[in-house]
Amino acid sequence: MPSWPAETKYISHATTRVDGAAKVTGKARYSSDIQANGWLYGMILRSKWPAAKITDINLEQALKVPGIKAAVLARSKEFTVRYYGEELAAVAGTSKQACLDALRAIEVTAQPLPFVVNENDAKKADAPRVWENGPNYKEPNARDRGDVTAAFGQCAAVIEGFYSTPVQTHNSMETHGNTASWTDDGVTAWSSTQGISSVRDGLAGSLRLEHSKVRVITEYMGGGFGAKFGAGVEGVLAAKLSREAKAPVRLMLTRFDEALAVGNRPSSFQKIKLGAAADGTLLAFDLENYGTAGIGAGGDAGGGGGGADIPAPYLYKVANTRVKQAAVAVNAGSARAFRAPGNPPASFGIESAMDDLAVKLGMDPVELRLKNDPNPIRQREYKLGVEKFGWKEKYRKPGSSPGVVKTGIGCAGAAWPAGGPSKNTHGEAQINPDGTIEFRLGVQDIGTGTRTVIAVVAAEMLGLKPEQITVKVGDTRFPPGPGSGGSTTCPSISPTVFDICAKALQQLQTQSGIADARGANWFPACKKLGVNSLTVSGQWIEGLSSNPAGGVQFAEVEVDTETGLVTVKKMLGVHDCGLIVNQLTLESQINGGIIMGMGYALYEERVMDDLSGVMLNPNFETYKLPGIADVPEIEIVLINMPERGVIGIGEPATVPTAGAIANAVANAIGVRVGSLPITPAKVLAALGKVPPVTA
Amino acid sequence: MKAFQYATAHSPDSARQLVADNGAYLAGGNDLLGLLKEYLVTADPLVNIKSLPGLNKIEDGRKAWTIGALVTIAQIENHADIKKTFPGLHEAASEIASLQIRNVATVGGNLAQHSRCWYFRQRDVKCLKKHGDLCYARSSENRYHSLFTGNDCISPVVSSLATTFAALDASAIVLRDGKELRWSMAELYAEAWKNPYAHNSLQPGDLIVRVEIPTARSRSAYMQISDKHAFDWALVSCAAAAEIADGKMKSPRVALGSISPVPHQSEAANSFLDGKVLDDATATQAADMILKDAKPLEHNAYKMPMAQALIRRTLLKLKGDA
Repeated sequence: MPSWPAETKYISHATTRVDGAAKVTGKARYSSDIQANGWLYGMILRSKWPAAKITDINLEQALKVPGIKAAVLARSKEFTVRYYGEELAAVAGTSKQACLDALRAIEVTAQPLPFVVNENDAKKADAPRVWENGPNYKEPNARDRGDVTAAFGQCAAVIEGFYSTPVQTHNSMETHGNTASWTDDGVTAWSSTQGISSVRDGLAGSLRLEHSKVRVITEYMGGGFGAKFGAGVEGVLAAKLSREAKAPVRLMLTRFDEALAVGNRPSSFQKIKLGAAADGTLLAFDLENYGTAGIGAGGDAGGGGGGADIPAPYLYKVANTRVKQAAVAVNAGSARAFRAPGNPPASFGIESAMDDLAVKLGMDPVELRLKNDPNPIRQREYKLGVEKFGWKEKYRKPGSSPGVVKTGIGCAGAAWPAGGPSKNTHGEAQINPDGTIEFRLGVQDIGTGTRTVIAVVAAEMLGLKPEQITVKVGDTRFPPGPGSGGSTTCPSISPTVFDICAKALQQLQTQSGIADARGANWFPACKKLGVNSLTVSGQWIEGLSSNPAGGVQFAEVEVDTETGLVTVKKMLGVHDCGLIVNQLTLESQINGGIIMGMGYALYEERVMDDLSGVMLNPNFETYKLPGIADVPEIEIVLINMPERGVIGIGEPATVPTAGAIANAVANAIGVRVGSLPITPAKVLAALGKVPPVTA
Repeated sequence: MKAFQYATAHSPDSARQLVADNGAYLAGGNDLLGLLKEYLVTADPLVNIKSLPGLNKIEDGRKAWTIGALVTIAQIENHADIKKTFPGLHEAASEIASLQIRNVATVGGNLAQHSRCWYFRQRDVKCLKKHGDLCYARSSENRYHSLFTGNDCISPVVSSLATTFAALDASAIVLRDGKELRWSMAELYAEAWKNPYAHNSLQPGDLIVRVEIPTARSRSAYMQISDKHAFDWALVSCAAAAEIADGKMKSPRVALGSISPVPHQSEAANSFLDGKVLDDATATQAADMILKDAKPLEHNAYKMPMAQALIRRTLLKLKGDA
């Protein structure tokens, strides 16, 4: 069995991004920077109805707009739209303005249909149906383990709570989109994607082309978080427009488009009952949960979008459980995989309930977790975190902090049961007689530092410096690699690079006669190749990666009890992901995960309007995301476990943040805000300061 | 956006002629361009007024300061003497939007900006303010809306400069067909109180040319609460100004933003505070008077305790180190 080297120079150390300079100087070409020869702008017309029977779409006037080169239908002239923002048609033209004018010139005839956009309304039996052939919600069956009713009877303390999370929309820095070029040779798509192979397959399928006729290129892209695996309606439309216009079409979505139609994290409404013995041992758990995945998880939910179900009782071992959950359909954009699907809402619900139970038991919340979390690594992380955070010195009884501005602390745990490798990962390296070496992997960098990871592993194995390694990724012409999602990239590519390096050294030994071609011998060995470069292929191998990853996070907050404003003062993340490959990019991922979790805790929420059926905040003005002024000191403590091999970190980094912050808020003010995001309005309401409104 | 003609004016007169009946003045453009891009308003031509002479200056005076309409928010924020003379104005300016926006946004544009109501800003909703039948916010999502209004639209004024100018009893000088009108902040927004289609009292062709701030109040303060810590609209904002002599307030004024289509003021509260020594009880009593007759809706009643706290804190801040 292969193993990672015990002594390392680069692995587990801190290497700055090999493409950092290219990124900050603008030299790196993101998908939205691509300007193919003769390219046109592309834009999509969307439904302004939350539900309607479309009876005709007339493109004639749009095609007469000066500069417009093509117009295509998204589906057909007659079909039913089921949410505000669903695609109707698309145009391509020589300017943005021409496209905007053309979109307004398209004549759409429609009969508006009744709609329902909010979960609680949609559940009612007489609610308008999102899908004609079935109700929006079907009462689910309970899944029981043990005897819940009897177990609650034996509990020393039982709490019942209602915890809810909103729909969180995907908001990558770079929107979804492509430049697509359709010629006689096939289709080339410069795509903002986290899965070049899945986009290739999706485009080929939708356009009825052979896989070999579709090439997907993603040099640099600005974030995906689960929403960018597929070709997308926008990708297929870009290609069709290109075929019509006989020119490359760049169709990047606007922020407005992005808010409506490219996926989101389902909401959750969790009624939790949790009971424990006097010593804190959890005895019984009961969850009733529903949430919405919009019109459904859709056909483009690659990476585990699923419905609205959440893992329960999540991290904890409870002998008697009852879980009842189902999704409710509403007329709104559908869910897609979103960084650790299901886990952040699950964590927020159960971790809130745990703290509420700890209060009732008169127990320290960390102690209650140590008592019931069977995972030995998290046990270690809690203990480490308690020390680093000064938990014992800072912990006060809920609401007992003096003054108007109260401080509080909270914690929560994370798991990501997947996060292992994608075994079907391949790559190659071309070694030239002058000692230069180029790695080519059909993976893409979602922004986490994939090139750097490849360079770090290669430099370690070959005794070179990371900057001596050239890395090429993001092209379906390279040996196939995994999608960048589910925390799988790093454990997939690191062993693959290991294998390529091992084979390269072997070959070099054979061809050069130099026993060990590493380090100082590298260039002499390469020189012996003569005039021919050496190309070595490798693939993922067993023994160098595993799963799962976990972690715990601690939050310290200040809550102004007169204005309701929550200020996060400090976050501590204690995380494990096996062997640390590169500390810097790993820390970046955890920073990003925590900041994203802060958005979930305090700011983000899709707001749908009952009356009009539209989304009211399809922008960054009222769909609020954390900004630099909101972000506190973030401390990260890593447990390096080389013996476990490489594990991904993307998902667990964001899972526990909202639960930890919510618990810190409850600890500060002595009452629970059970609904995310925790806005000043909700804090004031929880404190009983909001006067009742008489209609 | 729709195509438009574009012209640059070099005098107020030519600006007025160029803008005619259907045009709009363009300065920083932060609000106007957004409105045009979303097809929420139509304007043709756009008349660039950035070259109008003399309107980009801050001038001090013994009795009053003059701030030209083209002065940027950043100019106010970075003006050391404004910070000393009108600390509340400095504080208000420094909380507006982001640094990038403050660098180009102008005083005139800040005062004249349109409603931020999310129904008004939603391109596919025809709400009352857009001459539709219904104020959607009234019976639906009204968390950001008014506690006071004189008409069926509940969209509030969000200009934090207006709030502060109201507390400082500043006047906006508006050029109407060659004649200068001197308006209090109450007058500048009076039309929005009664008319759902208006967001201020300006008529087509009217141009704010400057703001005059009396120096009568040496103490001023501004505070706002938003969901976020920066670059976010105020849920409630509050400005207060007064002279303090022998520990007593003289000519105090308090104004609130984001809770009414006009900067919300209570002359009764201002009179009550006059001659009083500032303490917690007085400030609380004033807050009650200011918020009397508020009509909270389903989702905005949280603004009541928030405004209460802000009024008290802003007033107490006037005491400063004195």
